[in-house]
Amino acid sequence: MFLALRELRHSRLRYGLIGAILALVAWLVFLLSGLANGLATDNASAMQNMNADYLAFQSGSRVLLHRSLLPMTTVDVVRQVAGVHDAAPLGQFTITVERAGSNDQIDATVLAIDPASFLAPKITQGNGLTNSQPNGVVINRTAQREGVKLGDALKVLPSGQELTVVGFTEGQTYSHLPVIFMNIPQWQALRFPTTGAEGIPTNPISAVAIKMDETAATTVAQQVSGVEVASRETVLQNLPGYKEESGSVTMIQAFLFIIAAFIMAAFFYVLTLQKSNQFGVLKALGAGTRFLARDLVGQVLMLTALGIVFGALLSYAVSAIMPAAVPFALDTKLVVLYGGVLLLVALVGTLLSLFQIAKVDALVAIGRVD
Amino acid sequence: MDKLVLENVSKVYGVGENAVTALDNVSLNVRAGEFVAVVGPSGSGKTTLLALTGALLQPTSGAVTLNGQSIARQSASALAKFRLEHIGFVLQSSNLVPYLTARDQLLLVAELAGKRDRAAQQRVDRLLDELGLRRRHHHYPEALSGGERQRVAIARALMNDPDVLLADEPTANLDSVRGREAVQLLAAQVKNGAKAAIMVTHDERMLDLCDRVVRIADGRIGAVTVAAPR
Repeated sequence: MFLALRELRHSRLRYGLIGAILALVAWLVFLLSGLANGLATDNASAMQNMNADYLAFQSGSRVLLHRSLLPMTTVDVVRQVAGVHDAAPLGQFTITVERAGSNDQIDATVLAIDPASFLAPKITQGNGLTNSQPNGVVINRTAQREGVKLGDALKVLPSGQELTVVGFTEGQTYSHLPVIFMNIPQWQALRFPTTGAEGIPTNPISAVAIKMDETAATTVAQQVSGVEVASRETVLQNLPGYKEESGSVTMIQAFLFIIAAFIMAAFFYVLTLQKSNQFGVLKALGAGTRFLARDLVGQVLMLTALGIVFGALLSYAVSAIMPAAVPFALDTKLVVLYGGVLLLVALVGTLLSLFQIAKVDALVAIGRVD
Repeated sequence: MDKLVLENVSKVYGVGENAVTALDNVSLNVRAGEFVAVVGPSGSGKTTLLALTGALLQPTSGAVTLNGQSIARQSASALAKFRLEHIGFVLQSSNLVPYLTARDQLLLVAELAGKRDRAAQQRVDRLLDELGLRRRHHHYPEALSGGERQRVAIARALMNDPDVLLADEPTANLDSVRGREAVQLLAAQVKNGAKAAIMVTHDERMLDLCDRVVRIADGRIGAVTVAAPR
């Protein structure tokens, strides 16, 4: 590192520029990861945070909650299967509500649960659901941005049924909408305003949330008729838009990594070619290829690490000033991981220069190589 | 004692019809404290001779012995280590590392040898002072004059206290006064340090500073002139 440090110090502009490019690339990678993470959370944090291992859907619903309908009796059937720890009913519906005394309409996803089951959300403010107050609801905290307060009355459009906000929870969104938790009967009244319609099971629910080990999953699928079983992660990946959102961001990130590798490869290769004569002199003085290679790798690592640190600092600065409504969430684990990947691709990019260094003959030091 | 011995050394580049004989059966001995000038037209084999004595090249046939040690059949890294320990190169003046100060140019040699300690730093300071660079320790090559650069190069070559000192056109980019100063410095170091030295040069004005002048043409050593005692 004797040469590396001194060269960085002497050619500040040159290395500062390439360091700045790296910092920008790292910044973009981190911003994108924050955005991907934020979008995923915004889309389906309710599913990410759900206290269930598996969900059972109606056969043929392609594990989509809004397509699936099952009779309530399925919950008990599932619970009987060997290996199942617990099961709970789940209902889903998308609604539009209007806050009493205002014309603001709020879109929300209803998740209907049994208040006594393991699906009951964590309450951050107010109270949880109770069977004694059938129209009481718990709503995700983000609805507060729309002006919703504890005790507010929400009118469901267009039917006009009234809901009362009894509590707030957090980290509960679905289809990019805040989640409203309510009792199953209330949900059934909203979802099926006319009784006796065709194809609707008695006492319907959307799906069954199950706590069980992986081994029991196939048993449930075999022993309970009319259902398909999927893990929570599979359900998540199948949510409309979920894969597409994360997929496109991942693709951009992959390109950024490749670009970073090429930038480092090109920059250091050109520098190495330019310094061929110098390397020849150093070799004539007795520097081995290993000494020179170690110096180059040290230089690349130092420069890349600095760039990554700056990129990360910028990302956290952006994260701090970002308005709350923007789906952006930096995950420090991911920042570290992507920083590591950048460091790695930078090293891959230097391979070309390392070959060049190995190729330089000490004879160039005395001019005229034959 | 002969520090540097070339015995019937030949160097052939290429094979078959393309073969070019750069050195043809050359023998040369240099004693400790002896300063030998090698002169000859370009293409005569001067550079090849320097490369062979500097352990940068292996001879096609014959033996090169430096300080009693043969350089034959050594790996590239072993040769690099050998150069680091036994050979000092004074290259043409542009061959300082541009981003190192005069002091760091010398310290680099200690770093390469893995001995960058206090003693090495003291040696650096002493060498630079000795060569008249007292006020130039922290200057980059770009801030040094041609003569100063060549003196730094000489100091760098002495840093590892080499057995053999090799100079490649040390006066090429200097005016005659500065050039003569540089060669005088070299000659003094050879005498005081009992080193064997070879200087390849075009510059006939410097030959009186050398103990012996070897003329080389078409890969063969011709007349050897022993300088008149001064």
